[in-house]
Amino acid sequence: MTWITKSTAAPDSTTILRGLVSKKRVPLGSDIYNRLLGTLFDEAAALDERRIDDWIAMLAQDIIYQAPIRLTRTGPNRDRDVMRTMFHFDENYDSLVMRSGRLQKSAWAEDPPSRCRRFVTNVRVGERDTPGEYEVVSYLFLERSRGDSPENENTTAERRDVWREVDGEYRLARREIIVDQSVLGMSNFAVFL
Amino acid sequence: MLQKSKLVLRDGTSLDDLIIRESNEVSLRVMTDEELYKLEMEKIFAKTWLLLGHESEIPEVGDFIVRDMAEDNVIVARGQDGDVHVSLNVCPHRGMRVCLGEAGNKRVHQCIYHGWAFRPNGDFIGAPVEREKMHGNDVDKKTLGLKKARVHLYGGLIFATWNVDGPSFDEYLGDIKYYMDQLFCRTNRGLELLGPPQRFTLPCNWKVPGEQSGSDGFHTLTLHRSLMEGGVMGGTAESIYDQAPGMYGVDVSCEQGHSLRCLEAEKTFKMFADVPFEGKSTRERLELLAPPGITKEMIPELFENLTEDQVAQLATIPPQVGGMFPNILIAFIFAPRTDGGSSGALSLHAYVPKGPDKVEFVNYLFAEKDAPEQMKRDMLQNSIWNTGTSGVIEQDDADVWPVIMKNARGAVSKDMTLKYQALHGHERPEGWVGEGLLYPGFTKDDTQWNWWLAYYDLMDAV
Ligand code: FES
Ligand SMILES: [Fe+2]
Repeated sequence: MTWITKSTAAPDSTTILRGLVSKKRVPLGSDIYNRLLGTLFDEAAALDERRIDDWIAMLAQDIIYQAPIRLTRTGPNRDRDVMRTMFHFDENYDSLVMRSGRLQKSAWAEDPPSRCRRFVTNVRVGERDTPGEYEVVSYLFLERSRGDSPENENTTAERRDVWREVDGEYRLARREIIVDQSVLGMSNFAVFL
Repeated sequence: MLQKSKLVLRDGTSLDDLIIRESNEVSLRVMTDEELYKLEMEKIFAKTWLLLGHESEIPEVGDFIVRDMAEDNVIVARGQDGDVHVSLNVCPHRGMRVCLGEAGNKRVHQCIYHGWAFRPNGDFIGAPVEREKMHGNDVDKKTLGLKKARVHLYGGLIFATWNVDGPSFDEYLGDIKYYMDQLFCRTNRGLELLGPPQRFTLPCNWKVPGEQSGSDGFHTLTLHRSLMEGGVMGGTAESIYDQAPGMYGVDVSCEQGHSLRCLEAEKTFKMFADVPFEGKSTRERLELLAPPGITKEMIPELFENLTEDQVAQLATIPPQVGGMFPNILIAFIFAPRTDGGSSGALSLHAYVPKGPDKVEFVNYLFAEKDAPEQMKRDMLQNSIWNTGTSGVIEQDDADVWPVIMKNARGAVSKDMTLKYQALHGHERPEGWVGEGLLYPGFTKDDTQWNWWLAYYDLMDAV
């Protein structure tokens, strides 16, 4: 995974869509796989139930949390469509804590709050070189009901995470959210993905 | 007596019933009416200058980006001549899009339908099987190029218009140019776009965010209350309305509908509150508190590119937020960071109409080209934190606008009005240099009303 951000508008510094990098797969159904899967489900529940402090408690202090934009490309560049020069989210631990603090005061975008369901599937796990760290790739389908609108807003994404084992629990150390839309149909990202 | 408009919709409603100049009101119906929307596309979006990006996106010959002039998709490309060209992305053969990618480099754009080919500047090259003259028996190839828009670069920003014989870009900017130059034309190498824009759609008419871009300062106190709660602005959560941080300054605008809010930086943000400006020279002030996006090293460049009066303003009461009619919002703001830095956030939004009830929010984020890499990195983060998709300021705007839109549909609600009756009236502050319509003191409705008058003028024009 690359986490380097280059500042240039010309779209050369894009990389190809590639999920799991690790060669050492953690097999489906193994103990570690199951525990990580349970962690992803717990995380989704914390966010859906708006237990934002519980979610913050799942984050590592050195977290990098980013959602690069997608572009529509053609020809030789057709697979270079993840633009890591520009993001919908570009966060670290402090900024995520600030966002969570805002949500507890006058964040009108989420007051009244959206009713969200995060469906997490297609989970693949690999070991990283650092012991106790796992690469966890998942698909996310977010359904978001707002106000009195009978039509949900929704979005799909792949999430490339690094989860780190700390005191028998997993902490989220990296998350790259690969959204599928080049033009988002959702009117804001006031909720976490 | 105000002259009556000749613009009358099919059901007999006149432009004067919608934009009520006697009482400074606008009927909510303007947000939903389909007939009005179609007229806007022709009278406004096919006539004014529109923002399409920045030349730093297409540095090399053949580089292109694809953008929208309202619902007209265009190719913005650097031609063989090194110039930026804007051409309609509609194949003159049978209407297919010629370019399907959003960005890249191509010397030849070939339509995937029947293969007609075009140069980056839009010129027609030919159709396949040349000997069969599939471009037409007696048709001159010169007439088969992509339809070309008129282009103007301003501080590297790419503007285009279909109005080939219309006002020049400078005429379009009018008196506001003096102030805009302080943001866009102040350094030797100019601005750089930090990456392709964020794009997302909102279920509302383009004028809902549009009228706010006419410098609605007042909503900040309430809608953007979280800025005071977060301790970023001067004042505390309890004293927001007493202290009214960021509300006092000089709003400037012009009859073309553009506007900027010039704010005394030392009063706007808590962290600058102790910066003593009294008795300091322009240069000393700049050293103490450089404008958003500017480093100490760039200060001499300000004097090279701007007049002394412009630099003095930038040092004391810089333009920070505002807009260009019809659909651009400008936010060149101090953005205090949790790590103590304040490298600023420079952002432009285009609110691109996509039907009467849909708008695309295109968010362009900038830094000065000569800013150090770390500063660019910080500014990108600042801008994303504050503006656009996940921006803590604009999340809240994006929450309000679609609700206003819903309200505009009711049989009774549609006749409710937007009110611009809290007016100051033009007044030249003492010692003020620079032209335009000036509104010193608390930010009021004047600039937004000027936005609607500009709208009226274009819609009324035959
Ligand atoms: S539509 Fe483009 S070549 Fe026919
Ligand atoms: Fe706002």
